[in-house]
Amino acid sequence: MRALDYRTRSRITAWVLGALTLAFLAYQWLPIFTLGVLSFAGPTGGTTFPMNGTSFHWYQELWRATVMNDFKPPLLRSTLLALACSATTVVLSVMAAQAMRGQFRGHGWFFYLLLLGIMAPGILVGFGFAIMMRLLGVELSWDTTTFLTHVSWTLPFGFLTMLAIFNRFDKKLEEAALTLGASRIVAFRRVTFPLILPGVIGAGLFGFSLSYDEFPRSMFTTGPDMTLPLAVMAQLDRQLTPEIYAVGTATTFFSLFAVTMCTFAFWAMRRQVQGRNS
Amino acid sequence: MDALTRDPPQNAAVQDPARPQLDLELRGIRKRFGGFTAVDGVSLKVEKGQFVCLLGPSGCGKTTTLRCIAGLEEPDDGGILIGGKEVTRDPPWQRDIAMMFQDFALFPHMTVAKQVGFGLEMLKKPKAEIAKRVQHVLKSFEILELAERKPASLSGGQRQRVALARAMITEPRILLLDEPIGALDYSLRETVMLELKLLQQRTGISFIWVTHDQNEAFSLGDLVVVMNHARIEQQGSPEDILQRPATAFVAGFVQGNNVFRGKVVGEGAGVLSVETAAGTFRVPAIGTPPVLGSDVSFSVRAEQLTDAPTDQHPNRLTVQCTTVEYFGAVRRHIFQRRDGELLKYDQFGAHAQRVAVGQTAVLGWQVEDSVLHVGVAR
Repeated sequence: MRALDYRTRSRITAWVLGALTLAFLAYQWLPIFTLGVLSFAGPTGGTTFPMNGTSFHWYQELWRATVMNDFKPPLLRSTLLALACSATTVVLSVMAAQAMRGQFRGHGWFFYLLLLGIMAPGILVGFGFAIMMRLLGVELSWDTTTFLTHVSWTLPFGFLTMLAIFNRFDKKLEEAALTLGASRIVAFRRVTFPLILPGVIGAGLFGFSLSYDEFPRSMFTTGPDMTLPLAVMAQLDRQLTPEIYAVGTATTFFSLFAVTMCTFAFWAMRRQVQGRNS
Repeated sequence: MDALTRDPPQNAAVQDPARPQLDLELRGIRKRFGGFTAVDGVSLKVEKGQFVCLLGPSGCGKTTTLRCIAGLEEPDDGGILIGGKEVTRDPPWQRDIAMMFQDFALFPHMTVAKQVGFGLEMLKKPKAEIAKRVQHVLKSFEILELAERKPASLSGGQRQRVALARAMITEPRILLLDEPIGALDYSLRETVMLELKLLQQRTGISFIWVTHDQNEAFSLGDLVVVMNHARIEQQGSPEDILQRPATAFVAGFVQGNNVFRGKVVGEGAGVLSVETAAGTFRVPAIGTPPVLGSDVSFSVRAEQLTDAPTDQHPNRLTVQCTTVEYFGAVRRHIFQRRDGELLKYDQFGAHAQRVAVGQTAVLGWQVEDSVLHVGVAR
């Protein structure tokens, strides 16, 4: 039998890989989509099909919350926490990556110690941190202890992003600025920063999204005022209604909105950097 | 220590008028990277408005020397004076220099006008003045129409002009150029070289030009500094270096030299007899005559040889021609020497080829055409 023509073979490969990709995307998105659909179930609907009609009932429930299942304060806390983590990650990861460029003594150890935040199991980090705080007599709270454990989690991601960006960064550009009379700070502000901005935005996105839905590191460190993932988990323990789905759908849309905004900013920056006339 | 014993001159007026003011002085600078010595005791004096070429093979320390002058590297030892002012420990932004990088290092996010004005902006000049001077400089470099473009959309030649305009706008005392035309198309280089030479003469700014291309160095430099293995081998005018190479390295690095190494076996009337693997030759002695039996090297230029030696040409070699290269004005014959090295013989003019490939010829040269290498051999 004659072997297939190479064109036919590459066409078949393209179809197979394309189908696999579509299956993967469906696998990733269908559950979220199902939850989204179920969140519009009728007032008598349950957490599975049939929906018993469609309504905004569960969104209204969400809004008219009782003390027991009010998601608005946890939502606010989680958003503030994620924003703070994002900002902190940006600043620290840019500084840490800049420091790594200097190849200071012990930079290898510094690198691995920072990455420990990714390696270490979150539940242990959270638990250990809570015990340590108790020993030190520090009161647990979402905006202090949780914030710190979250940063230890988000920072390595931002750090790796910035390392990759600086890896491709042409050091000569900074040197050119220095020989043109710019001090180090001015060279950073006028030349380095605008060029690494896409990476900075990426680090910020990591900081936000990783903190926003973080559960294990929050579980032991948060104290009485819960973050959103903790509140959702607590609600699941009590009673399961489509209201949970409404929370999920609402926050997903919120996240998508945030990512879209960042992507747009990113795109605008690239345009800025690469120049638009050719 | 120097600074304690005497005040450094503040401006040209207080300088000793008998001594010409130096734009740059390097006093034995040394720079080490880990275990590798990149610059080893380099001393250099650059007079006002001089065109200096640092020439050498890659890794010889020429670029590190340039970066030390710019302040991008700090020498471990030695001193750097710019315009008579000690700047060894000063950061780049406090030095009266500008630098042009090999790949131009244009800021990708700035328009041409913005980056040409960058140096003036750093000097905190008023906006109106910056705009005026940028306009003027862009016009004189014939890139005014590119003012609002960004580097990504420029051709190699245009980028080179933008980089030059950006460096020259503040009228620095010294312009440092690191292989400035290495990134250009070969056909552009000659034109750009001439333009840069004329620009340098017009502005009187000292140029320090790093290159590995001897054609650039010899056609541009008032002073050519040949470097090898972190040290200066020889510095002088292009004629000095071409006609009187000081070391076997310089003679070998510069095109068109035949280098011989051997032992001194005799001396008399200012002429040495040098025994080499290719034969014994007579070489004029210069400086302190070497001791009998000591190792020396000498060279003779390819165009000084003749294929019809007479009594005037006591230095002779019988060799076989292996190949002939034709350059238009010059026909270069390559012969195999008895010691395995090559012998180059240049025949000028459009005459017919005198020696054919495979043919054996007797080549000779006059005693005074051999140049003894007096530099320290390392």
